[in-house]
Amino acid sequence: MTPALPDILTGQAVALMTPLPPEAGGDYLAGRVGLLAMLAGLAAQEAERGLAARVWENGAIRALLAEAGGPPVEADEGLTWSALDAANARLRRVLIAVHEGAEERGDRTLQAEILELYQQMAAARRLVLGGG
Amino acid sequence: MTLAERLAAYLTRTGAPTTVENLARISGGASRETYRYDAVVDDVRAGFILRRDPPGSLIETDRRAEFLAIRSFAGKGVAAPEVIALEEDGAELERPFFIMRRVDGGMTASPFAPDPFGPHAGAIGDQFFSFMGRITAEPLDGLPILEALAPPAPDACWRRELDYWAGVIDADEQHPQPIVRAAIRRLRRHPPPPAARVSVVHGDYRTGNFLHDGAGRIVAVLDWEMAHLGDPLEDLAWAMDPLWSNPADPRISGMVARDEALAIWSRTSSLEIDPDALAWWSLFASVKGQAIWTSSAKEWRDGGFTEPILAFSGWYTARRQDEILAERLAAMGPL
Repeated sequence: MTPALPDILTGQAVALMTPLPPEAGGDYLAGRVGLLAMLAGLAAQEAERGLAARVWENGAIRALLAEAGGPPVEADEGLTWSALDAANARLRRVLIAVHEGAEERGDRTLQAEILELYQQMAAARRLVLGGG
Repeated sequence: MTLAERLAAYLTRTGAPTTVENLARISGGASRETYRYDAVVDDVRAGFILRRDPPGSLIETDRRAEFLAIRSFAGKGVAAPEVIALEEDGAELERPFFIMRRVDGGMTASPFAPDPFGPHAGAIGDQFFSFMGRITAEPLDGLPILEALAPPAPDACWRRELDYWAGVIDADEQHPQPIVRAAIRRLRRHPPPPAARVSVVHGDYRTGNFLHDGAGRIVAVLDWEMAHLGDPLEDLAWAMDPLWSNPADPRISGMVARDEALAIWSRTSSLEIDPDALAWWSLFASVKGQAIWTSSAKEWRDGGFTEPILAFSGWYTARRQDEILAERLAAMGPL
């Protein structure tokens, strides 16, 4: 998966504090500052929606696994980014295995449900350049 | 010594007494450090580009293959820059590098900009897909790139590329990615037909990787670092991945409509396009993209968070690619 918001913000701080060699000024510096500004705009979106997207995704995967008779997965242990991502990693691993099983069995109904869930998962994590 | 002084020392040792002026880093892809500079010899000034390996690299690419790929297309009508020198051991610059002649007066277009070419969109699109077709049409015999790479068998192209990029995901993934995993399984279960022709594949042929003069002319095709030999549909599909187009604009990268793009490429490459093969390579393009963004996120973390372009690629671009993959898989339906 892509980096979590705390990583993005840490990275921005590091990038802003890192001294650049003299040849890395001018257009390169302008491009770098522009990228950092773009990342700040995306971080604002993620700050608003990121945790909710993770809570929703974990719940949606858990519900699909229960319906599909998948193995139980530990519940979320907190609402921090790291706790939700750890739970999400466990759930996604099981989801991958359940999807592979559905393909091997030729269970087209479950496959279709999983493919629809993938679209919803990707949409829930959508970032929009220039706002949103 | 500064980088400019070390570069001047190298140029003086290998050629004539040289002064390096106006050395400045420019944005030039995440897998090489790219600099522009002026070399002054006997009061004669000329512009050059230095491409040096970074301390860590987004994609492990062969700079010799890149150098020879560009050289393979010198004077072949595809706007390949003129390469000058290659130093694989790094010489005075400590890391491998090569030098090419600078093309002044060009600009790049952001893949994310609306209407990036304005009234010149059609002309740019015609050249963009024609140049790609000419790269495909170029016979391999005698090309310099053969000094670095051996052509794969036509029926081996897909597997070699899929194995490589799936391996990149295996190596660099920091969080389970069910969407791209499903795409990889689908590609393995339904391989494409053998390549209609084995040709040079640029590897990253897309908007953002060429210079245009703002008046409808492409003046340089850049970023050959992933060049290899393979199925030319790989380039065609990569260039048309929705990632490189504004979702609100039906044209490919703000240039021309999809059907027109395919017609231009087919005419200039002299190849018919097999729809099933193109569909396979289109899904593969999104897998390859996700592999690159996965590496980008890892490199950003491992490199100490210093390069914001890696964060952008590993975060925004990766999520957009996941949306594209999920849409493609849903449209294809269950296996």
